[in-house]
Amino acid sequence: MTNLFEEPGLKQITVWARGVYENKEARDVVVAVTEAAALEGKFVQAWENYVDLPDRIYVPVRAYGKISDQEIESKYVYENETPDIVALTEETLVKGVDILAGIKPGAVLVINTKRPAEYLFKFIKKGTENLASIVTVDANSLAKSIITLSGAEGATDASGIGKGMGAALAAAIVKATGIVQFESLLKIVENKNAAKKAFEKAQVVDVKTLVNAG
Amino acid sequence: MSVPVKEVPFAGTVPSPKTENEGMITGNWRTRRPVLDADKCTNCLICWISCPDSSVNQNADVVSFNLKYCKGCGICNEVCPVGAISLAPELDFED
Repeated sequence: MTNLFEEPGLKQITVWARGVYENKEARDVVVAVTEAAALEGKFVQAWENYVDLPDRIYVPVRAYGKISDQEIESKYVYENETPDIVALTEETLVKGVDILAGIKPGAVLVINTKRPAEYLFKFIKKGTENLASIVTVDANSLAKSIITLSGAEGATDASGIGKGMGAALAAAIVKATGIVQFESLLKIVENKNAAKKAFEKAQVVDVKTLVNAG
Repeated sequence: MSVPVKEVPFAGTVPSPKTENEGMITGNWRTRRPVLDADKCTNCLICWISCPDSSVNQNADVVSFNLKYCKGCGICNEVCPVGAISLAPELDFED
């Protein structure tokens, strides 16, 4: 029987962050990538998970993006149930949080960290069988996290899209997945310097090599 | 609606805990972990009073931390009068 809800062209992006401190950065990553895709004529959506209650300091929170060649049929589905791309604005989210829940085969994990992917991989207990690669980028060294409540309630964002380290993380996503052209992303983000450096420096590691290494 | 109203939890709220609350395990909020220097600790219990999550355990000799619920806010590190509590990056620890 055919799956009536199947959307072959749809790509889902989930960004995990820490409440208050990186709430804006998580939102910036999905907004920057989806706005860049919109420039390329794709159908897009970006929103935050409000059930996570992001006004609690350090609570793991999620921001979502959807990019599709066709019109998005599942536009009222409130969470990304099968993400293609998972990004973490902060490295300790690999520990104790089920970040890879429901990922599609060939999914990519992007982490803002100084540590090597080999070390972080040891902490991920669930869902690695569908994971294709881990991307590490030290976004904190390229730009600071902008801590603001502007935009947190869906109103206008006074500080600008991709002003902080979210720009670097978005660039790492683009490098690893090619979901949009890097030039399109540069048109959207404010901190173009951080995005360019992150695009150069992001390291992509194949998960197969990590599994074989034990 | 088939679910009785009193069984529907509102947002992230959970019943008030007595000792532990399995519905609100907050250990994964932590980015920094409190580490105790037992030689410096005088067991004055100022950290125990100050901890907003009641994650400091009283012991006979020195205090210990309940890392299942500790959010890593660092208040214990701030209030310790003898500097016995430091904060270490969470990923430095395997467990």
